[in-house]
Amino acid sequence: MEIAPGAVRDQTRQDDQQAALAALVDEYASTLYRVAFSVLRNAADAEDAVQEAFLRVLRHRDTLGEVRDHRVWLIRIVWNIVLDRKRRAKTRPETDDIADLARVLPARGLTAEERAQARQQHDRALRCVEQLPAKEREVMLLSAFEELNSVEISEVLGITESSVRSRLFRARNLLSDLMGRRRETK
Amino acid sequence: MNQPSAMKTELSRAADLELAEATLRRVAALPAPAGLEARVHAALEKAPRHAKVLPWPVAAHGGGTPNWLRGAAAAAIVAVIAGGSWGIYARVQPGEPSRAVTLPRVNATGGFANAGAMRTPQTLSAPAVNAQPKPAQTNAATPKPVAPVKKHTTAVR
Repeated sequence: MEIAPGAVRDQTRQDDQQAALAALVDEYASTLYRVAFSVLRNAADAEDAVQEAFLRVLRHRDTLGEVRDHRVWLIRIVWNIVLDRKRRAKTRPETDDIADLARVLPARGLTAEERAQARQQHDRALRCVEQLPAKEREVMLLSAFEELNSVEISEVLGITESSVRSRLFRARNLLSDLMGRRRETK
Repeated sequence: MNQPSAMKTELSRAADLELAEATLRRVAALPAPAGLEARVHAALEKAPRHAKVLPWPVAAHGGGTPNWLRGAAAAAIVAVIAGGSWGIYARVQPGEPSRAVTLPRVNATGGFANAGAMRTPQTLSAPAVNAQPKPAQTNAATPKPVAPVKKHTTAVR
């Protein structure tokens, strides 16, 4: 039985794509998870979002070679997925995920009292971030990732870099106002 | 006067902002759960590799669709449509004539019309008395007229 050379070429191409995809998973799954978790604040949902992002990549694996920056491209994919999920989750009754998140944030080397105080501060900060307008909040969340600069944030959000800067400026002002107001009411 | 308090406010604002940003950085730095990559690999393995397209039976065996098959398919479609139409036609009977009551015509000169009546009683002119006796009725059911009493012709004594 003779095997057509075209079939061999196709098989080789598929194997290459498979290997490239596996390498992307190994390299960026953790980053994507952290991006997803920062928005969804739920481990299972964040992992689902990461899997969905890679399944989308699998469907469009033919275009992998055309992508300039895989990291930013993948973050953009998972970012769109988590925003969509967050929007849909708005219809469900809200859970107090902020308190849960403030509890799981690392607080090593602190006494019990300091830990409780840190938890309160995290809780206050997260609630203030939640009150920011959506555009400002998104920029603020992405700017917290050390591996993303303003150019990359602009690519993820599909806006200009100057828009990123102005939104970040507004977000910081609003956030400090909100934090101050919340501190005074306590 | 207000400078120290303004500076204090500014400092506390900066501290608040720093605190909020530090919280967000901590959230962003939370580690991914162990075995995440393995689970993603497993999910990708389970995912279908190729889009499934249901093959057309004849085309799959090579060559285009034969003309006779196209004709048969067209005839089948026509038969289905014609059969359906006939079924609907056969079930629906023609409707009875309308029972709507026609409104009486109104004379152009005003007043009442006869509303299509065959005989219109004369209500304004007085009825004319017929001098001629009515013909005897032959109906047996009707009571016979009493015969006129004969006058006694005998003289009174």
